[in-house]
Amino acid sequence: MTASTTIDAAPAMPRFALGRAGTATALLLPIALINAIGFLLPVLNLLRMSFNEALAGGGIRETFILDNWTGLFGDSFYLELIMNSVSVSLGITFLTLVVSYPIALYLHRSSGRWRTFLTVLVISPLLTSAVVRTYGWIALLADQGPIVKTIAALGITPPRLMFNTTGVVIGLTEILMPYMILSLLAGFGRLDPRVEEAAMTLGAPPSKTFWRVILPLTLPGIALGCLLCFVLAVSSFITPKLLGGGRVFLLATEIYDQAIVTLNWPLAATLSILVLVIFGAALAVYARVLRVIE
Amino acid sequence: METNTTSLPMKILVAVLFLFLLGPVILVVPISFSGEQILSFPPASWSFRWYTALFNNTPMISAFWTSLLLGAIVTAISLAAAIPAAYVIVRMRTAGSGFLYNFFTAPLLLPTIVLGLAILIVFASMGFLGTFTGLVIGHLVITLPYALRVLATTLGNLPLACEEAASTLGGRPFTVFRRVTLPMMAPGIVAATALCFLVSFDEVVITLFLTGPRLSTLPVQLFHHVESRADPLVASVSVLLIFLTLAVVIIVDRTVGLSKTFVK
Amino acid sequence: MMHQKILSGTPTASTDRDVHLRLDGLTKRYGDSVAVAALDLAVPKGELVALLGPSGCGKTTTLRMIAGLITPSDGRIIVGGSDITASPTYKRDMGLVFQSYALFPHMTVAKNVAFGLEMRSVPKHEIEKRVKEALAMVRLEALSERKPRELSGGQQQRVALARALVIRPSILLLDEPLSNLDAKLRDEMRNEIRDIQQSLGITAVFVTHDQVEALSMCDKVVVMKGGQLEQIGTPVDVYETPATPFVASFVGRTNRLEGMANGDGTVIVGTGGLRVPGRPGGKVEILMRPHRLKLVDANAAPEGSAERFNRLAGTLTRITFVGDLLQYHVDVAGSEVIVEAASDHGRGFWRAGAPVAITWRVEDTMVFGRGA
Repeated sequence: MTASTTIDAAPAMPRFALGRAGTATALLLPIALINAIGFLLPVLNLLRMSFNEALAGGGIRETFILDNWTGLFGDSFYLELIMNSVSVSLGITFLTLVVSYPIALYLHRSSGRWRTFLTVLVISPLLTSAVVRTYGWIALLADQGPIVKTIAALGITPPRLMFNTTGVVIGLTEILMPYMILSLLAGFGRLDPRVEEAAMTLGAPPSKTFWRVILPLTLPGIALGCLLCFVLAVSSFITPKLLGGGRVFLLATEIYDQAIVTLNWPLAATLSILVLVIFGAALAVYARVLRVIE
Repeated sequence: METNTTSLPMKILVAVLFLFLLGPVILVVPISFSGEQILSFPPASWSFRWYTALFNNTPMISAFWTSLLLGAIVTAISLAAAIPAAYVIVRMRTAGSGFLYNFFTAPLLLPTIVLGLAILIVFASMGFLGTFTGLVIGHLVITLPYALRVLATTLGNLPLACEEAASTLGGRPFTVFRRVTLPMMAPGIVAATALCFLVSFDEVVITLFLTGPRLSTLPVQLFHHVESRADPLVASVSVLLIFLTLAVVIIVDRTVGLSKTFVK
Repeated sequence: MMHQKILSGTPTASTDRDVHLRLDGLTKRYGDSVAVAALDLAVPKGELVALLGPSGCGKTTTLRMIAGLITPSDGRIIVGGSDITASPTYKRDMGLVFQSYALFPHMTVAKNVAFGLEMRSVPKHEIEKRVKEALAMVRLEALSERKPRELSGGQQQRVALARALVIRPSILLLDEPLSNLDAKLRDEMRNEIRDIQQSLGITAVFVTHDQVEALSMCDKVVVMKGGQLEQIGTPVDVYETPATPFVASFVGRTNRLEGMANGDGTVIVGTGGLRVPGRPGGKVEILMRPHRLKLVDANAAPEGSAERFNRLAGTLTRITFVGDLLQYHVDVAGSEVIVEAASDHGRGFWRAGAPVAITWRVEDTMVFGRGA
């Protein structure tokens, strides 16, 4: 975000009729206005809402109580919901890492048009609606779908793959893969193929080269990808809602249900703030991990 | 053209993982030609009946037009607001321009489920729920940061010397901006346009909170459809959407190069 | 801050009437650091003046202040008698050639050159005519419809020059215009720029860190260091009679010896005695140009009188072959002195380890006080 091109001089800006500050303010006004109405005010209001009292039938009483917060931690349903969300998200993050790492490593080693083509393949799902991709998974994982039928044909009693946590995990893992691959690639910048070659010329077999050289060098990319995928998993809504079929309870789906179905906005707001707190905690862990790696 | 460090098992593994990544998207193509009443794969018979059904599905068609119009308006406003903002933040470099940049891109840090709820609560009291204005503002909250990010990066990478040259040649500030800065930003503007449009056109979560019974966007309509029914209709819509996205991507690629736009 | 006065060595010292560009105590401060300190400068009409110095000396900052791209902290800029310190860049009528050329990438060569004329609302047919003339001047008529990226570095440089000159600016400013060219092209462009500048009779300021460019092209050289003016003079002045040791060593190469001056025109260096111009006293440093020194046999008879020639004994430690020159490294009382001589097929007469003496004319000795 620096724009300076000269070494010993900062540019003098042209003079404007309104004066520098006046012109700058005028040019920033549209974005500031939209940001205020659509972001700042709603987010501050959300914080305030979590201390209001919800009345039966969707009413709200303006007050300042901690009931929403104490209620959350006193109710075993919500405690379980939180624990469930975090652990499922952690599991999804790990799975995403495992299935993304080989692709990222392969992409990092390829070059030219082949690499461009593969990069486009990795990015293309990002440009496809999550609804569409989840729909594809519904077709694949359905009780009469090809995967279940194949397993049954092998003579094994097929497990249910949809409308349960398994389905959500499979679907979200695939949905989050592009983010993980791109993060890993960003972190792979430090991985010089000559380092691997050096390790092998020193007599390290491929598996040792991986564990002792490649993996440690790519840890920063792994940390970044895991952070990104974890926060996206914790707050994802579309895939858990559609693949969970209302039987999988996660934070995001609960926020939606409280806001739209139960109309308990104070509780929905409280859960939302809680998601942000989890974000903050994930970020703190990430910063800590990064310091240990460096 | 990969190096010889990649062994055959590794190649097979990568191919399988790519199949996992792309499978669900590729799958919708054959499903859209299904002749069955319900969603199944592989379909027992083939037909165009779900494309016919799509064009007779009035809510879906009207949602498509809403999304198209919404995307166009949101993109136009995003550019109109983000170009001057990027100019102020990068070129005028007032005190605190770093803070301004972080502040205006902050909405990208919040999950859409939280943003959607926050906007819902405020818009309810303003009477914006279920209105087109409400949808425009809701989408702007997330498209503006993307536009600002792309445009500020573009502008930051442009050499200042060209603008200085123009002003030594007698160009007044606005003329320099119009004749030199803006044309040089063209690749960034194309990228920002594509990104804003795709983000708005694909947005589901925030939109779910803001749509009403009489006003819906295509992704929201699709969401409700998948939620309530399992038939191949969504596949036919998806195929058309994929082609629309592909068209946008190809235009961007031809103009500025895809990897420059999305891999930043 | 003390104002440094102009030391013009030319016999036809410019009178106020001829002065086209005048800087008056021009100063730029960034917080506590001073980029340019109270610079005074008067450039007569039609002269090419070089601002010479190492990076960070304030030369580019000065040029950008003249162009209006940086606002001065203090001082005035006067062009043709009117104070333009407060006027914006676009009203200044300066032609600036950038180090990076700064051609507009989205416009053709012709459009680039036409830009300044369009800004001045010159009628269309005249724009066409003048663009053609300007491109003819830099020999690029054939490439007028090309985009800048399709041109070589030298061609881009010429377009930048044509674009700056086509507006008939009151002053031409050149910011290290040759530094991105390869050596051969640089020599060519040096002559081309000088020819065009002289034929147009335009006042020009040329920023460079290259002493060869400054000495070979310019009427006057302004040597700067750390924001301070070191010396203003003709190329011969700054080379032959540098005002400070810095100027002496920056404009050309030097050997340096330390000594004690007696106040009578003699200096003791180690165990030897030297004659120097003037009558300095106290600790001094002695500078000599390597190619003005001569290496002689330690026992050879003096070439001329001790009044006119200096002579120091030493030991030859190393001979370096650098193509057209041989460099003799001589240890003189613990200091290394380099003597340069034309090489004769790489063969030298001397061998390392030989006892030798170096001799040079008294007037080729530069002496500077070292303070207390």
